[in-house]
Amino acid sequence: VIGRRVQYELAGRVVGPFMLQLQAWQKQVTRRKRARKPGDFGPPLECTRKLKELMSLHYLQGRYADGAVPVAWVTSGFPVELLRPLGFHTVYPENHAAMCGVVRVVPELSDAAEKEGYARDLCSYARTDIGSILTGKTPAGRLPKPDLLACCTNICQTVLYWYKALADHFQVPLVLLDTPYVFGKAAPHHGSYVREQLGELVAVAERVAGRRVEAGALEEIVRSSKEGAALWGQCLATAKARPAPWTGIDGFFHMAPIVALRGSEACNAYYRLLLDELEDRVRRGVGGLREEKHRLLWDNLPMWYAVRELSQLLASQGFNFVCTSYTNAWAEAGINVDPKDPYGSIAKTYTHIILNQDLANRTDILRRLARDYACDGAVLHSDRSCKPYSIGQIDLKERLSKELGIPMLLLEADHSDPRAWAPGPGENRISAFMESFA
Amino acid sequence: MERADRAGYIERQREAHGRRSIAVLPVHYPKALLTAHDVLAVELWGPPGAPRSNEAGRLQTYVCAVVRNALAFLAAGQADCADALLVPHTCDSLQGLATLTSDFGGWKKPRLVFQHPRGGERASARRFVEAELRALSLELERLCDRSLDAGRLTWALELHARIDGCRARLLGQRRRVALTDRELYALLRRGEGLWPEEHLAELEAAIAASLREQPAQEGIPVLVTGYVPEPAGFLEALNEAGAYIAADDYAAVGRRIVPRRAAGVDPWNELVENHFFAVPCPTRGADWSERMRYLAELASRASVKGVVIHVQKFCEPELFDVPAIRKTFERVGLPLLYLEGELESELSGQARTRLEAFVEILGSRGSKVVAA
Repeated sequence: VIGRRVQYELAGRVVGPFMLQLQAWQKQVTRRKRARKPGDFGPPLECTRKLKELMSLHYLQGRYADGAVPVAWVTSGFPVELLRPLGFHTVYPENHAAMCGVVRVVPELSDAAEKEGYARDLCSYARTDIGSILTGKTPAGRLPKPDLLACCTNICQTVLYWYKALADHFQVPLVLLDTPYVFGKAAPHHGSYVREQLGELVAVAERVAGRRVEAGALEEIVRSSKEGAALWGQCLATAKARPAPWTGIDGFFHMAPIVALRGSEACNAYYRLLLDELEDRVRRGVGGLREEKHRLLWDNLPMWYAVRELSQLLASQGFNFVCTSYTNAWAEAGINVDPKDPYGSIAKTYTHIILNQDLANRTDILRRLARDYACDGAVLHSDRSCKPYSIGQIDLKERLSKELGIPMLLLEADHSDPRAWAPGPGENRISAFMESFA
Repeated sequence: MERADRAGYIERQREAHGRRSIAVLPVHYPKALLTAHDVLAVELWGPPGAPRSNEAGRLQTYVCAVVRNALAFLAAGQADCADALLVPHTCDSLQGLATLTSDFGGWKKPRLVFQHPRGGERASARRFVEAELRALSLELERLCDRSLDAGRLTWALELHARIDGCRARLLGQRRRVALTDRELYALLRRGEGLWPEEHLAELEAAIAASLREQPAQEGIPVLVTGYVPEPAGFLEALNEAGAYIAADDYAAVGRRIVPRRAAGVDPWNELVENHFFAVPCPTRGADWSERMRYLAELASRASVKGVVIHVQKFCEPELFDVPAIRKTFERVGLPLLYLEGELESELSGQARTRLEAFVEILGSRGSKVVAA
């Protein structure tokens, strides 16, 4: 244990940062040699390098986490604030699957899961991670084995099935936070049910970690988590400026810390830096695009394997995604946690996630985002792998398009599996959509 | 009762007994509570076949046919004879349907929901089930404009325990029941729309007429696990190929039987116990090992020779369990057939051929008995 712990700490504090600095220096040299051509985008964000360092370090340190510190695999909507005081190294399989989507290894990993009997109609994140476990292949180098699986149903019921499969594979405890769906207002007994479960799951997590959650430490982490969500919200809000200082696609990548490192000082320090840079760009009138002509809203998860091509296509005509309901979700809910009432506020906050509330609420959020960010169009990604996000989009599009008087496009694809996306017809539809603005 | 007769039956129940009716979506709900409130539950499993209206187009084609067809049916006004709609929280798609029909149209009358605690039995889950049951009961009181009589609840629980007893007997002693699968499942599924007392009478009559002392089935016994036995042609094809369902694990049928009763508890507690006594079902987030153990025992008890996984396309709760089911039966050497449907009205020729070939393989394997 001591040896593993030393490796873990060295990876996180010495070797990792050194390697990343070296890598960054090498890239800088290469970049100097290959002068960047002026394109449709504005100057790249300086912070992107820091983001890569932060996330790479997290995954690098993770390689040495098992055996050194307790490891938890966690769904993105799980109240991780409860695990941090117990010293868990957290791994987010959704974040990992997104990474696999970006580097386009999903078909290969999914094939392994499908061979095992998992249908292709199941969520591609789940198939990707299961395939990664079965083959041992991951762009992260290595994922530490979990001691605990922590799952919350506020984003979908799929995660429960997915995590049951993980629990069966790893033979480790699975703690579940079940959040009843909110139609209108949550019933009082829904709140008490979620609150009571927090106590139950903390008891299991404490047993696995071999220590107790200290009230002071929890309060501090909740405060940090709240601050992180607020900072992230401020970063997003800078895109209300014209031109928006970054693109929604940037936002998809820069949300990684609020998902995977929520409640940590590293997360907040990063967003302070990002916010500074974005505010500076707003002051100087530097946009995410060289010329921003149209401002779009994006609904649902991104198509990780095609973000570059899509953003390039849109940017070529001056279209920028200035806001997305997905990245907004991490800002809007997280600010409601309260260090004075950690358990009560966590129960309430994590029940009232966008995907755990009815379509009336979702319509309100999209309407508000479109108005606040002065959008003149919207793209709704109908995502085969995410039914809770996609059901209702056809009606949503009709209603909001009429109400707001802006064109909207429903684009059928998948967040991670490129086999569900037909680039030719899809890009034709986007081109036709852009032409409708003329 | 044929589907076309349902509207007439609902009307007759209203006229003769002043009884309200609720259209209920799949799968699990506290039917005894509805009966206690003198409410007729009429279940809506799609219905199968082509969607009854273009409203199905309001949902993407990657949403299962049960939900798309239900939206088409509801939005076309074909369930308007019912007084309310009850949506149990079975899966993300049904949950989506509940909000879609209310927020964007498709159902104008009261909509009730019943949320199951997902995951295993915990103190919090028990309290939640009781609170959900009481909340639903209050909604039913409002709908019927009368309060619930505690004696009625006891009576309803007794009635449903007797129904479950009959159903368990017919399925558990399937080999001695002189009915084809189509006849048996038609009988069992009539309970989806009949007033429970009438259903019980039919079940008791069927037991008296069809349960033999000696085996009445000579085909190859198989276990079928899946969502709903649709199309009915599947059952015919299975029998014609020379097999029969000796062990049932359909969400619509066998998984809804509460196998035992809680003794000496008040009726509310019994309702709660019924939730946790129920057969493990993925739509309620059942524990994998518990479910696999249950399926292995079910197969062993009925000495089945093969297993058919009969699922609906895009049904996540069922599909996620498929690899574990495969492993469970591979371990005991039972051949397995995977059949996927989309709530068609007829079994496809391709599926029929696969079924026939599977039964032929089972027949050629001799009489291997499944290990416990």
